Amino acid sequence: METDKLIQRLADGSEPVRPLPRPWLRMATWLALAVAYIALVVYVVSPRDDLLAKLRDLRFCIEEIAALATGIAAAVAAFASTIPGSNRRLLLLPVLPLMVWLGSLGQGCIEAWIRLGPDGLSLQPDWYCVPAIVLVGAVPAIAMAVMLRRGAPLTPHKTVALGGLAAAGFGNFGLRLFHDQDASIMVLVWQVGTVLVLTALAAWTGPRILNWQAVLAGARGDVR
Amino acid sequence: MEDRALAMQMRAVQAGDGQAYAALLRTITPRLRQIIRNQQQFLQPADIEDLVQEVLLSVHAVRATYDPERPFLPWLMAITQNRLADSARRYARRAAHEVQTETLPVTFSEDMANSQSGTYGDSEALRQAIQALPRGQRQAIEMLKLREMSLKEAAASSGLTIGALKISVHRAVIALRKALKKE
Repeated sequence: METDKLIQRLADGSEPVRPLPRPWLRMATWLALAVAYIALVVYVVSPRDDLLAKLRDLRFCIEEIAALATGIAAAVAAFASTIPGSNRRLLLLPVLPLMVWLGSLGQGCIEAWIRLGPDGLSLQPDWYCVPAIVLVGAVPAIAMAVMLRRGAPLTPHKTVALGGLAAAGFGNFGLRLFHDQDASIMVLVWQVGTVLVLTALAAWTGPRILNWQAVLAGARGDVR
Repeated sequence: MEDRALAMQMRAVQAGDGQAYAALLRTITPRLRQIIRNQQQFLQPADIEDLVQEVLLSVHAVRATYDPERPFLPWLMAITQNRLADSARRYARRAAHEVQTETLPVTFSEDMANSQSGTYGDSEALRQAIQALPRGQRQAIEMLKLREMSLKEAAASSGLTIGALKISVHRAVIALRKALKKE
């Protein structure tokens, strides 16, 4: 087809489109859904018995806020990465809260080692974390994928990895509200480890979720 | 090309104005052509035009991602550069699987490609192997392979369904291959 004919067909079939809201607003929509779902899961599974006491524990609060902030920052970065011409530095947004999260857990490990010696860093299997984080992060992850597919697939690996980090970060935030595992080394290895593995998996599946072929299939339909 | 004017046209495009859309695309097309020609000098004119069209389709597909309060050109250039990088990757992948040669060989060099079908020459053994097939399979082979009838013609002549003929000929080929390998 000649380019001029293509232009005419695109123009003839032109329909109004609603511009996508800014990444912060899209994140707020996603956040509302994710928080509602996590609240439901925590209610159904029933919150841990010592939750009120834990809310007065500074380390627990820092780690929960850092997990939540990592999820929020990753969600903003993921949405921004689907907007052509947006500032690429936004992709680094989750780095700071992630460092705080890892730093707090690292400090917890060091304190446990000083207090208890090598026993303070002993690891036991805690496979429960893996399906629990997947369960809590599942609906936020699906919502994230649906929302990301409305954007431009400019950087599929990075975008979906950030989306995965957001959902898994929220998954871990929710998990700690009903799973009473607070030993820093266990949280670091089993919970943050699961979050990072899920993020890597998301990065790997990126081009299957976001790709130009799928986006252009719709556009080609418009010019037929 | 003034960004403010283009941004205004793009806002009209998002509101569904077809005339503004045609004008905007006609304004950006020569610019896109020039960028693509400058960056991918090895491309033929037809390939350049294909890429221009792909960028235009990409712009169309993601036009909702344009923020009406932001400049237009950085948005357009981000899409263009992304599509060009994509095309360069595709080109590199294709080139990695291509072998440049002056004269094309009659067949591929791998042993797998030069199977028995090319070297087998004992027509008497083949005739006997066909005779030894069950009746249905023999009939299918005779009609579809020896007399080169179409599936439709063979079905009409034998009264069998196309599916049954396909199965028979498939089984017959496997049986023949086995029989001829033994010899």
